[in-house]
Amino acid sequence: MRNPVTLILTAISTPVILAAQTVQRFPRPDFESDYSAPLLTAPAARWFGWEYLDVLLLILALALAGHLALRRRSRRGLLALAVFSLLYFGFWRQGCICAVGASQNVTAAWFQTEYLIPLPVLAFFALPLLFTLFHGRTFCAAVCPLGAIQELTVWRPVKLPLWLNHTLGMLPWVYLCLALLFAATGTGFLICRWDPFVGFFRLGAPLSMLLFGALILAVGLFVARPYCRFLCPYGVLLGLCSRLARRHVTITPAECVQCRLCEDACPFGAIQARPGVYFPATGWRGTTTTWRWPCKWSRPMPGHPPD
Amino acid sequence: MTQASTTPAQPEKLTRSGFLRRWLGGLSLALVAGLAGATSWKSKRKTQVWQLDPHKCVHCGNCEHACVLKPSAVKAVHAYVLCGYCKLCGGYHHPQAKNLDTAAESQLCPTGAIKRTFIEDPFYEYTIIEEKCIGCGVCVKGCSQFGNGSLFLQVRHDRCVNCNDCAIARVCPVQAFRLVPADEPYLLKGV
Repeated sequence: MRNPVTLILTAISTPVILAAQTVQRFPRPDFESDYSAPLLTAPAARWFGWEYLDVLLLILALALAGHLALRRRSRRGLLALAVFSLLYFGFWRQGCICAVGASQNVTAAWFQTEYLIPLPVLAFFALPLLFTLFHGRTFCAAVCPLGAIQELTVWRPVKLPLWLNHTLGMLPWVYLCLALLFAATGTGFLICRWDPFVGFFRLGAPLSMLLFGALILAVGLFVARPYCRFLCPYGVLLGLCSRLARRHVTITPAECVQCRLCEDACPFGAIQARPGVYFPATGWRGTTTTWRWPCKWSRPMPGHPPD
Repeated sequence: MTQASTTPAQPEKLTRSGFLRRWLGGLSLALVAGLAGATSWKSKRKTQVWQLDPHKCVHCGNCEHACVLKPSAVKAVHAYVLCGYCKLCGGYHHPQAKNLDTAAESQLCPTGAIKRTFIEDPFYEYTIIEEKCIGCGVCVKGCSQFGNGSLFLQVRHDRCVNCNDCAIARVCPVQAFRLVPADEPYLLKGV
């Protein structure tokens, strides 16, 4: 970015400039007129109550998402909540702080002695994980603004082959390890630097960021939620928690007639056949489907075969 | 309404996976809560915000372009206490200016964001028009090299979105950016 000559010149001139700044070459004049200099005015600091309001809204949104997904089973409700999250956490609060990036702050707090983590940032890191342990990944479904913008821009989703889906699914692990390593060593916040959508939320960003975001959105027209599935480092942590969740969104086995249309209908390729579960509606026991949306883990349906 | 709630309750059979999920779930719940609790020990109630130290600044011009905002959240500030009120101002006049006047070609500022007002002969007051300033630091450079250094750059916190990873701090050649307490968000000169 900076060529060697500039660097050398900067290195030489820095002490000179620093010395010059401390010297008042031209003394302040004694004015004959009754001039008085205006005061140095700085705008007031921002109101940081917003950050606590964010945490409150995050809790409410997570609770509502769990209710909509598990009790109401309302796709429309989840979509409406996703729109709200996109507008509030995305465009209004300009995408920062987000839970995805907060994992770096937690790492930095542990590994860098001088770094202190603000409490709202810690809440943004921990709350989605805690809710996921109870409800599954409802954060991804309707609360994450990065997920919401991709959810709304899916146009003609194609089904990726299983091997490709699984191979690309490894990428978030690599990304998470790199991001945490960068944060721990104080090199920088990799996730924030390559946040695809924060440029859109702020209506302006470096060109590389905007191009990356546009690329993700363009891919997302056909491959649904590409950032969530193949890059999001926080999704790795959420996925781990989701495996151990108390409740999940499930396909109701009592009603399921094994038509298996849902496997093709799922834009994320998350519903996959899995043997060994009994379906009361058809009296059939064998290959069945499991609901894996949008997490990467399958689990059997809560159905009990007759003895 | 869920289907599960309308079907008659069946006796819960404890499977291996169910057992593992229950206990590992509880364990990870404790783990996440413990991690959050332990980290909160290293947290602070007060938020920190980004600010640049004007004594370290070398007015390289990165502030104008590196910020995620357009125009940048960094703007010039004038410490009147340090100003010499010169007729020929290193921060205001172009080095090749023919006349020491307020004509556009005489000015250094690319957006004409400095207002020059006559006070008394030979003194002039220079005021930053904040709305026009783009934080390029050209005036700061001129003032620091040929004047008292009364013009300097600051992150304006009515504009700054306080990024997790400040984009300007990343490219600052002298590490002039640092986190300061939010209730004292400015590092001013001449106070």
